[in-house]
Amino acid sequence: MTKVTLNVNGETRTASVPPEMTLLRLLREEFGLTGAKLGCDVGDCGACTVIVDGKTVNSCLMLAPQADGRDVLTVEGLATMERLHPIQKAFEEKGSLQCGFCGPGVIMSAKALLDENPDPSVLEIRDALAGNLCRCTGYSKMIEAIQDVARGDNRQPVGESA
Amino acid sequence: MEKKPAAVVEREARVETRDVVEMLRAPAAAPLVPLPLEVLVPEARQQTPAVRQRATRPDCRLHGLGQTKYIDDMYLPGMLYAKIKRAGIASARILSVDTKEAEAMPGVVAVITGRDVPVNSFGPSLKDQPVLADERVFHAGDGVAAVAAVTEQIAAEAIEKIKVEYEPIRPVLDPFESLKLETPGLHAPNPNIYGHKVIKKGDVAKGFAESYRIFEGSYRTQMVEHVPLEPHASIATWDPNGRLTIYSTLGRITLGRADISRTLGVPMSRIRIIATIVGGNFGGKNEITTEPVVALLAKKSGRPVKCTFTRPEEFASSTTRHPLVMDYKTGVSREGRILARQIRLVLDGGAYCSWSETTLGKACILSAGPYQIDNLYAEAFVVYTNKTMTGAMRGFGAPQVCFAYESQMDDIATALNIDPLEIRMLNALKEGSLSPTSQKLHSVVVRETLLQAAQRFGWNGNGARS
Ligand code: FES
Ligand code: FES
Repeated sequence: MTKVTLNVNGETRTASVPPEMTLLRLLREEFGLTGAKLGCDVGDCGACTVIVDGKTVNSCLMLAPQADGRDVLTVEGLATMERLHPIQKAFEEKGSLQCGFCGPGVIMSAKALLDENPDPSVLEIRDALAGNLCRCTGYSKMIEAIQDVARGDNRQPVGESA
Repeated sequence: MEKKPAAVVEREARVETRDVVEMLRAPAAAPLVPLPLEVLVPEARQQTPAVRQRATRPDCRLHGLGQTKYIDDMYLPGMLYAKIKRAGIASARILSVDTKEAEAMPGVVAVITGRDVPVNSFGPSLKDQPVLADERVFHAGDGVAAVAAVTEQIAAEAIEKIKVEYEPIRPVLDPFESLKLETPGLHAPNPNIYGHKVIKKGDVAKGFAESYRIFEGSYRTQMVEHVPLEPHASIATWDPNGRLTIYSTLGRITLGRADISRTLGVPMSRIRIIATIVGGNFGGKNEITTEPVVALLAKKSGRPVKCTFTRPEEFASSTTRHPLVMDYKTGVSREGRILARQIRLVLDGGAYCSWSETTLGKACILSAGPYQIDNLYAEAFVVYTNKTMTGAMRGFGAPQVCFAYESQMDDIATALNIDPLEIRMLNALKEGSLSPTSQKLHSVVVRETLLQAAQRFGWNGNGARS
């Protein structure tokens, strides 16, 4: 067993895990954060996307001990008690998710993109979502929603909007 | 703000009453808010104002928050994890299955093989599919044994330790080989052609005799997997009174319950199925897969058991879209009007029947296309092969035949030097036209749709865009 200590959504968490455990399983099984999904376990689908030290990562491909001492942000860390994250709000309003299984991963990819590039072109958005497969939506409403956020249409916290 | 129809405003308002913001207090836990007592029931026969509306879903907020609980996000106290050992050989007789080494592994709680399944056959029409293969393997994705262990990792290691001895049988992989009379029946005594349909209308011989030209073409489509982003999964748990509860990704729970009842030999009244939110179905989750396996493992171990397909299992062991070979012979007049059409469809059904009969029927009925054809002969066969089984997938055969008839339509248009739009306008069904099975059709707007579409994307005739 290996001891890992990492920062998850702003909180320091510790777990003792088998060395072969992936970050995805650590989050889901040890910490109960089931937002990131297991779609393929081999880095193809992006359902397990989380942000580690500011960069998107397929958490099924990262071992938990590799995340030791790092900052991990999952979809559960985006919203607060008072408000949805603007991307979540935009995804809701645009109807960007259908079955929703890809959603947490897509939203994390979008978040990493907008943090780095607040005004992305459609091409840049497509590029940022290239690692996230969705079988339901055809992506167009996700792209529209991300554009909305970039334009600031959705900067308002949900609790305060009319 | 633009004014929305009353029903839409009402729907949005109802969603808001859930006061979902409150639940953000504990993001990884269940919502701590009351749920609405009143639910929105769509009124029968009322047209939902969907066109030009932004369709949102009441559950999409939870999706975006990562709060939706799919099966793999659930955990029951004491739960074990199951893995299924796959045959990895397309066609064979099973001589022996040795599970001793797996059973002896620390952490392994229960092991089952096909012989532990009370009634080892199911299917929506023909009951030709085993839960776990016992005597015969019909395709490489067949399960032959299953293990429940305290972790998924141990279960995965344990299935590697199960030794299966096979006597290989030459597999039949080509549907045309399967069609031949001398090919031994895969599911003997049942014939390899397990479904057949003919549709006749008018007199094709006469139609061909009157034709200006006759076009012949053969079209093929490939096998397609649904690839739902969420793999098939289920959890089974028994209560001490012998009642079974299964949480499942099944899309058709009532049908699934009948199959589970049959395979387990437990009356339906003692089985409860909880259908959770499904992470994509597309027709691929219409039948039981892991459900009887987890039920048996849970019974044997006395603990809840979960099984989630791996992505490779999703491809090899769940249903797929039927590959079709479609031969079309079409006679047309000088102006391009279809006078006769003869069609032969061969569906490669793979190892088991599943929803083949529905697919066969629908493909055959729709094979003439949305065109007025007075002389028609359409014939369809579905055959067994030693490949991944086929089943329901969006459209039940409709997309395959569409590829064939529209491809041939383009060939005819090119050969006769007619605009592809024009030849479709000339032949399209009209209000009151009779379908291939002589059903009188209403609300037929094929021409209007074609014209509008052509106008919208600037169709300028002869393949050019304006
Ligand atoms: S589960 Fe990690 S990429 Fe698919
Ligand atoms: S919404 Fe179903 S996979 Fe994206």
